[in-house]
Amino acid sequence: MLKVNNVEVKYAGVILVLRGVSIEVNDGTIVALLGSNGAGKTTTLKAISGLLHTELGEVTAGSIEYDNYRIDKLDPDQIAQKGIIQVMEGRRVLRHLTVEENLRLGGNILKESNIEKDMDMVYDYFPKLKTLHNSVSGYLSGGEQQMLVLGRAMMAHPKIMLLDEPSMGLAPMIVQEIYAMIKRFNTDEKNSILLVEQNARAALSISEFCYVMENGRIVLDGPSSKLAGNEDIKEFYLGLSKVGEKKSYRDIKHYKRRKRWL
Amino acid sequence: MEFLGKIIISGLMNGSVYGLVAIGFVLIYKSSLLLSFCQGNMLVFGAYSFWAFMIITGKNIFLSFMLAMVAGYMIGSLIERITLRPLIGQPMLAMVTITIFLAQVIDGIIVLIWGSYPLQQIEIFPRASLAIGKMVVTTEVLYAFGLAIIAMVALMLFFRYTKIGLAMRGVAEGHQTMQAMGYSVKKILNICWGVAGIVATLGGILLGATLGFQLTLSSIGILAIPAAFIGGLESPGGAILGGLLIGIVESIVSGYVGQAAGPPASFVILIMVMFFKPEGFFGLKEIERV
Repeated sequence: MLKVNNVEVKYAGVILVLRGVSIEVNDGTIVALLGSNGAGKTTTLKAISGLLHTELGEVTAGSIEYDNYRIDKLDPDQIAQKGIIQVMEGRRVLRHLTVEENLRLGGNILKESNIEKDMDMVYDYFPKLKTLHNSVSGYLSGGEQQMLVLGRAMMAHPKIMLLDEPSMGLAPMIVQEIYAMIKRFNTDEKNSILLVEQNARAALSISEFCYVMENGRIVLDGPSSKLAGNEDIKEFYLGLSKVGEKKSYRDIKHYKRRKRWL
Repeated sequence: MEFLGKIIISGLMNGSVYGLVAIGFVLIYKSSLLLSFCQGNMLVFGAYSFWAFMIITGKNIFLSFMLAMVAGYMIGSLIERITLRPLIGQPMLAMVTITIFLAQVIDGIIVLIWGSYPLQQIEIFPRASLAIGKMVVTTEVLYAFGLAIIAMVALMLFFRYTKIGLAMRGVAEGHQTMQAMGYSVKKILNICWGVAGIVATLGGILLGATLGFQLTLSSIGILAIPAAFIGGLESPGGAILGGLLIGIVESIVSGYVGQAAGPPASFVILIMVMFFKPEGFFGLKEIERV
């Protein structure tokens, strides 16, 4: 189980990005982390994966525990070795390497692994990658690159996958396909996934639990099915309002409408 | 005609050593995007330690060769550990400056240990000559050429088929991405420098065997830069080909125009190649999707 306890993160020693964030990811569950731009979602993931150390950020208070072992002082490669793999946003393929070489690199960090078998597993999730296995990954389309970075992370059989906006900039059809595979991987491997998203609909549809962040704080949490019915979530993240009702000018002036949790 | 043949063969010999040294540049550039200016001095250090091992072991070539490789690996990884690791994430210029002056420091250390006079000549490759048609080739040249080619092929296989070689190529693409995947970038950079040290030592031994063990060998650290750029800074095979090209051009120009014109000629070629193919002949192009 992954536990983030009241974590505070400062960048460059002065900019307070996270102001006491607490998150729990139980074994085998998919947990979504929603929020608008700049809310601190990516920073939360980087704090967990240790990538914060490679930037100017620092965990200044609180603790991060994985199976009752503190990991917030470890280097990112040590954390990844423990089975917590982050898939960064922006489809970071190793551009000049082929699809197959990317996948191999993902699996090579395991001490004992069967690369060929794992590669077949990834090709089973994403059949498109199989036909492209010798192509230089930098030339793949956006959706294919997203499949590749997900597949590369799957090669390491992570205990916890941290996914940062896997739907960014992709066509709805591709998003559906990718989300279906994320769900399937979670069921097959019985691992946990912490999912950061702007696409609230997709995230709520596959997750069991959900946190909402704003300004470096968790402002709302609960089971995803319950949150999907929450008025505020509907209005601000799903873009739904009451259908069929007569709207007054006051409703349209949405700046008048305050989020209730603030 | 005989003169030209002779020139070309000596060019190939020089060129293969240029190529080896250029591979050192490629190794370091590939993983850390850094051009190292102390490659030539690492080469002298490797050559001198080989010489010392030869004396200590009573001219046991194989043993001294192995020991020198170990020493080369150590000097390379030490340089990375002590001077460059603290600078990870800092501007490139700081690192380049460090390597420029580190070259002087290594030079100083060599002089402290072995003195500044050329070392006593020792015979390494069996001295014999081979007649090809009308031309006479010394076997030294063939050894140098053969070793350079073997080193090139070995490195290409290393990058393609070994886990660590693949990891090095991955590190060249993105440090943060590799860290997120569980690779210790520091460790891999350290190994890269170690391998660069081995390659430099190999070049140093070949040069020392033919030109004598002396401090001026380090000038090849600059002379080999065109080879690396012409071949493309990311390609070990390109580095060897670039080295051979530079070697031949240099020896033709010094043969027909005059001794002093050789090295500048290779720099002129470098500048011309940069105009038309800035990434070199086998370098990686910036990927742009259309």
